[in-house]
Amino acid sequence: MASSSSSGLTFKLHPLVIVNISDHYTRVKSQAQPPHGSSNGGSSPPPQPPRVFGCVIGIQRGRTVEIFNSFELLYDPSTESLDRSFLEKKQELYKKVFPNFYILGWYSTGSDVQESDMHIHKALMDINESPVYVILNPAINHSQKDLPVTIYESELHVIDGIPQLIFVRSSYTIETVEAERISVDHVAHLKPSDGGSAATQLAAHLTGIHSAIKMLNSRIRVLHNYLLSMQRGGFLYEFVEMAGDIPMEDSLLRQVSSLLRRLPAIESGKFQDDFQMEYNDTLLITYLAMLTNCSSTMNELVDKFNTAYDRHSRRGGRTAFI
Amino acid sequence: MESMEALITQIQGLSGSVEDISHLHNLLKLTEESLQSEAPRLASFLGQLDPAKQSLGYLYILEAYTSAPISREQPSEFIMSVSTFINSCLAEQIRLAADKFVSVCKRFKDQVVLLQEPLRGVAPMRTAVQKLRSSSEHLTALHPDFLLLCLLAKSYKTGLGILKEDIFEIDQPRDFFLYCYYGGMICIGQKHFCKARELLRNVVTAPMSTINAIAIEAYKKYCLVSLIDNGQFSTALPKYTSSVAQRSLKNFCQPYIDLANSYSSGKISELESCVETNKEKFESDNNLGLVKQVVSSLYKRNIQRLTLTYLTLSLQDIANTVQLNTPKEAEMHVLRMIQDGEIFATINQKDEMVSFHEDPEQYKTCEMIEHIDSSIQRIMSLSKKLSAVDELISYDPAYLAKAGKERQRFDFDDFDTVPQKFNL
Repeated sequence: MASSSSSGLTFKLHPLVIVNISDHYTRVKSQAQPPHGSSNGGSSPPPQPPRVFGCVIGIQRGRTVEIFNSFELLYDPSTESLDRSFLEKKQELYKKVFPNFYILGWYSTGSDVQESDMHIHKALMDINESPVYVILNPAINHSQKDLPVTIYESELHVIDGIPQLIFVRSSYTIETVEAERISVDHVAHLKPSDGGSAATQLAAHLTGIHSAIKMLNSRIRVLHNYLLSMQRGGFLYEFVEMAGDIPMEDSLLRQVSSLLRRLPAIESGKFQDDFQMEYNDTLLITYLAMLTNCSSTMNELVDKFNTAYDRHSRRGGRTAFI
Repeated sequence: MESMEALITQIQGLSGSVEDISHLHNLLKLTEESLQSEAPRLASFLGQLDPAKQSLGYLYILEAYTSAPISREQPSEFIMSVSTFINSCLAEQIRLAADKFVSVCKRFKDQVVLLQEPLRGVAPMRTAVQKLRSSSEHLTALHPDFLLLCLLAKSYKTGLGILKEDIFEIDQPRDFFLYCYYGGMICIGQKHFCKARELLRNVVTAPMSTINAIAIEAYKKYCLVSLIDNGQFSTALPKYTSSVAQRSLKNFCQPYIDLANSYSSGKISELESCVETNKEKFESDNNLGLVKQVVSSLYKRNIQRLTLTYLTLSLQDIANTVQLNTPKEAEMHVLRMIQDGEIFATINQKDEMVSFHEDPEQYKTCEMIEHIDSSIQRIMSLSKKLSAVDELISYDPAYLAKAGKERQRFDFDDFDTVPQKFNL
């Protein structure tokens, strides 16, 4: 039912929307399902996770659609439609606070688009002639690297001679405001509530830096290999196509070169001096820490040795007549 | 003779796999006495065996052969055969009969020293040491012999290679004393006074139940080396020295302590008069060369003291303060010290002035990074070793017994689940 969109619209999604949808879903799910002690012995399959619905609002400027916020809506399963009066009331309230925002579409949870969604979509078409449909897939998939969020648009396609409205997938980018960045950071790092001891904080901090550097390293390596094979391929493509090599692609090369030129140009001697001095200082502190560590181990060892083998006991006051 | 033939064939047959080797080893242990009796005739049998593959058997026969006194005509041949054996033998096989190998090598060393050609023995002994020890941290009985040969042959650099490795396991305490003593002498020969002081201090502070001669000699040298290296010497030994050493070492080394006292006064004349009075004693201990180095180091010490007070100084003034005869001599001394890196200065020959500088090391070079990095690596491995030893001693029954005994009294009122006694 979904192919790629051809409307040429660019979608920008804010993290607030994603957090809102996920929050809504989690709340409903934890309220609906009974807590862990289900006594039916697990013979019945787990109940279907409830679907939640809501509205997304934002701004459309020309060809760019920016989805800023969202709110929840009541779903009426009998009519398979959203509660219209509630929607309008909410819309009025939001208009007062955010006069610029329009209703751009609606959201729901689930793994894929369903038949009933088209009704809701058509119902919304009188507010916005081309609403967007945001789906969040709540199933947790650890191997998946991308966000489980998909945006669908509706298009009129001719199928079997009948013009039909079908959902087509669109691509989107994530756009962040400073406040959102802070909260996403906080959620991503899952800091312990009491701040933890200094050691765990340091360890968490260093782990974060380590994984960031690792990712940077692997991406640079990918780029590097790409450029190398392009170099080989570009050099030889007139004569021999070596397996695995790629012909020159100028647009990508231009992007890479502009990226490289944006790197900070700190190559002066003074920078090297200061940097190395600071590096040496850090190394010295590490060395000092290790020396202290070693001395403490040594101290314990010597204590144990004295207790075990020394003829004269050194514990307070006891005589040597053991 | 038949038994010898049988033994030879057995050795040749059973030198293949590990089980065969241990079987062979047991057999050889049984035939030891018969081998001893046949000693003079064993030379011919040696030719039938291949030292590279049948090292264990070869070793047994060789040891029996060498236990008999060697006649004067044969030593050179003997040395040749032993060095080829050492170079070609298999390390795993000879480690099974380590004491026999050690005795063979000791005889080898004696012969080499007798022939007064210690240089011939240095390389085979080094191979022998490397094959005998189970790891680079293991001190065997051959280490001190190797160092002795290096000293006699004056090939100090080869000795230094072995000295660089840290020792964690020792076979016999006597080996350790000799090893550190000879090692200290080699370092003195190479003018690495810092490492020499460390090694000699190890001898002096090693645990000993009675005073031994090696420690006394080492103490004398230790006194002189710390004067050269550090400029001061205190008779107070570290706390971990054995009580025997703390009490008695000083009594044997009085002239050296007098020398140290006159050194601390800083006056050349006093030092030289002290040297004169005790000259025979120093000479009899073979330490006169070292004493002369102590005297020259006093000049250096005085010049270094000047850097703390003056920024620039004329050569004439240096000569006067340090009690040198001419400014030329002062210039020579200062120049040598600058080259050795002991002082940072520039000599202005036109004005005959010397200006002293600060240490120009800024600690921001890549070499410094590598230096610190290597130190960190070393200390990491040392730390691992320390934790391993700590764990080992934690389950030592002697420690547990004592620890349990003391805890019992503490926990009398606590109704702790500590067992009342460790019945070990």
